[in-house]
Amino acid sequence: MKTRARLDCLRTLPLIAWIVAADVLLASGLQSLRVNVALAQGADQILLYSGPDREQRLIEGARKEGQVVIYAALIQNQAMRPIADGFAKKYPFVRITTWRADSEDIVQKAAAEVRANNVVADVIEGTGAGEQGVAAGIVQPFFSPAVAAVPEMYRNPSRLWAPTRLSYYGIAYNTKLVPADAVPKSYEDLLDPRWKGKMAWRIGSSTGTALFLTNLRLAWGEEKAQAYFDKLKEQKIVNFGAGSARTLVDRVIAGEYAIALNIFAHHPLISKAKGAPVDSRLLPPVASTAATMSIVKGLHHPHAAMLLADYILSKEGQSILARAEYFPVDPAVAPLPALTSVVPRIAGVEENFVGPDQLLRYTDSSEDIFQKLFR
Amino acid sequence: MSAAIAGGESSIQVDAGGRAHARISPLVALLAAILLVLILPPTLFLIHTSVHTMRPDGSFGPFTLQYYAQLFTSPYFAVSLRNTVVYAIGSAVLAIMLGLAQALIVERTNAPLRSSAVLLAILSLGIPHVLYVVAWLLLLGRTGPVNALIEHISGAAGELPAFDVYSLWGMILIEGIGFVPLTFLLMAAVLRATDSSFEEAALMSGAGPLATFRAITLRMGLPGLLALLLLVVIRGFESFEVPALVGLAGNVSVLTSDIYQSSHNSSTPNYGESGAYSVCLLGLVVLLLIWHHWLLRRARRFQTITGKGYRPRILDLGRGRFAATALLLAIFALVTALPVGMLVFASLQPFYEGLTADSLRRFTLDNYATILAPGSFRDSVLNTLMLGASTATVVVPLMALCAWLAARRRPGAWLLDQIATAPLIFPAIVMSVAFLQVFVNLPVPLYGTLLSVVIASTVRFLPYGMRYAYAGVLQIHEDLEDAARTAGAGAGYVFVRVVLPLISAALASCWLFVFLLAAQNVALPLMLVGPGTEIMAVNLFDLWQNGQVTELAAMGVLWVALMLVVSACFHFTARRYGLRF
Repeated sequence: MKTRARLDCLRTLPLIAWIVAADVLLASGLQSLRVNVALAQGADQILLYSGPDREQRLIEGARKEGQVVIYAALIQNQAMRPIADGFAKKYPFVRITTWRADSEDIVQKAAAEVRANNVVADVIEGTGAGEQGVAAGIVQPFFSPAVAAVPEMYRNPSRLWAPTRLSYYGIAYNTKLVPADAVPKSYEDLLDPRWKGKMAWRIGSSTGTALFLTNLRLAWGEEKAQAYFDKLKEQKIVNFGAGSARTLVDRVIAGEYAIALNIFAHHPLISKAKGAPVDSRLLPPVASTAATMSIVKGLHHPHAAMLLADYILSKEGQSILARAEYFPVDPAVAPLPALTSVVPRIAGVEENFVGPDQLLRYTDSSEDIFQKLFR
Repeated sequence: MSAAIAGGESSIQVDAGGRAHARISPLVALLAAILLVLILPPTLFLIHTSVHTMRPDGSFGPFTLQYYAQLFTSPYFAVSLRNTVVYAIGSAVLAIMLGLAQALIVERTNAPLRSSAVLLAILSLGIPHVLYVVAWLLLLGRTGPVNALIEHISGAAGELPAFDVYSLWGMILIEGIGFVPLTFLLMAAVLRATDSSFEEAALMSGAGPLATFRAITLRMGLPGLLALLLLVVIRGFESFEVPALVGLAGNVSVLTSDIYQSSHNSSTPNYGESGAYSVCLLGLVVLLLIWHHWLLRRARRFQTITGKGYRPRILDLGRGRFAATALLLAIFALVTALPVGMLVFASLQPFYEGLTADSLRRFTLDNYATILAPGSFRDSVLNTLMLGASTATVVVPLMALCAWLAARRRPGAWLLDQIATAPLIFPAIVMSVAFLQVFVNLPVPLYGTLLSVVIASTVRFLPYGMRYAYAGVLQIHEDLEDAARTAGAGAGYVFVRVVLPLISAALASCWLFVFLLAAQNVALPLMLVGPGTEIMAVNLFDLWQNGQVTELAAMGVLWVALMLVVSACFHFTARRYGLRF
């Protein structure tokens, strides 16, 4: 029997050798396949063109291209479909197709396409997608006149991305577990021992714990923020890994946690309107982030892509996003009336915009702080 | 026994140097080639990922061994390893005990209602795994009905819940129960084909039912049971949903959730550590398989479908049959009725606040209206059914042939078993990235098509198909095939006319099983499917990100209903052709 077992082991050796050899093959194969992606001829001229006949030119070009592809982190039925339908109505000669994922996957898929010189995506959209796309080197500058309507602070000077929608972050609390007079009004209030072990925050996302920490580091400076984190550590916050920010709010409604930190401030309002025992509160400084869109290098439909970018930033596109419970970047387009109470500039609470570049730059070090203190 | 081995090994000659030369038949070589083409790309990607850094654009940087070092030098390694072992073995034992009990009653007794057990068990396989876990969290959560009941009985409503689901016990419970349908179906496949005359002989000789079970049934089913244990334990090591959804919130870390945390500890994708862990698991699986293979050398002792009778006889339990049915119902309640019931309840609520007197008064159908509104769910049903059906249709015949060759110990066929089991340890996320890289670089236009998703999901579910088919084949005695061969039939004829009919019932349920798993799989298709192709996985992901738990529940209920209809249609069609399972 022993010889047999040894024979089996011997037989596995060639398999291992095979695997190693094939690994080397694969590596060299991928290397040779990696063709440097040159900008599609003239695509940058189309993307940056700002002459008076811009729209006319785009429409003519888009008519020939016939389609456009967007990878977006927008919720499908309420936001992406109405956008696609609205766009199709305005430009019936362009077929629009969409792919839904989160920002990380969107950038990864688009990057794989660019490296393989097999580009399918024209436009990518998502929170963090812009700067991750810049870091991966897969996006290129573009000009859209509609960007002028967006406040300066939300724009990208190098035009590698444009903002599409905003998010505001606050705390959610269960109104049965947190009496009205005890609702935390400041970050200092979160240190109250009565909340020890009763708060949760979301891990495993760049807009989760990392954003909470980054926001305070940027607003207060490292020293003050660090001193605060040392105290916050004692509160034994539950590291919630069981789903999205929306899921965490649902757990607060269910009474699992009294308070959730750093959730999308409008989610509790939607449930509150249905009678759920939950509400949200903005703590100054309120973190805000922007989802952005970018144009992928080597794209096949530059004219149609620019028409789509224009449309998403137009009053019509922004209104569709607003109806889907997003916050428009165009101040002239109002968010849903039920949600205005969590817009910092309307609520009169200090806002700290954590730009896509800061989000990317600070995420790693904030995660380190998290690992050291809160894990 | 040595004679028995010699029969199977006749074509292996050992030369003076001790090297084995096997004449590998063209069929085995062809199948091995097919499997390798399917499995090598993700395997190589996995290995490559584990020894290279990754740049922001997803390309590989320089060679490094840092991920292996990180894995073993992490301050949490010892604790996580201990938790992982307890979790994997605990959930495997729970799943196998319940599954075995269920299989014994269904296959070996005359308990009423037993014939519906397969369909009912399959029901819970239809629920996407994340939703199944969510259902259990609602049941066992702080404000869930289980804790409410305990507090009601004990009269104490303390600060802390009576049962804390966010613990190692909670994880074992949820994962273990979630695996019962799998263990039940696989054990039933083993038992169904086992001759019960040995059990009857033992009972006649005066052994009690328990002694008979221990001495005969358990021993005869041992190879199948071991293979199953292997499958479930490895799955436990690799499983991610329960550790992430349940473990993290309770600060119970296992190796997979550690890796998840460290791979999200940076702004760029980092699968190195995850790859390193998988490579280690791959090594472990190879060792375990060699051991299992060695055990199976004695498999001839367990072959029980001979040229004589074939259908196992049923034991009459007398009055005890009602107790057996009660046990079946209890298992059904635990595995399917409770979680599905919870989903139904939550789906009818405007918001979920536990099972309270108030909540019973607010019912709404809004969640169903949201899910069924014109849009992605409706559009995705057909594509998803096609994905599941194509995957199962490719996996089942391929694995039946491989399992037969491997069980018959054709030279080199052990390799087929090894290759087909390897995908078991691939983390879904790494596998999807690997296939993304492969398809996007292929010169043929496969990238983004539904076909590419079918190929990837075929690879993912090969191991399940293999184990199912293997359990079926293992029980067929070679006598039958020898008889056919003596009568002049070729190998192909023997397989088609003798083997296939004998294992067809097992293969039919295997098909349904792979279909359900492939249709509800989320992580793999998400990355591979192209723009404009609607599938269920995308809907589920969308709701997971933005939806309320009540909407998620409604989606789960609709999905279970759909899968029930499909399963029932399949079941009754199979019956018309004489396949009972």
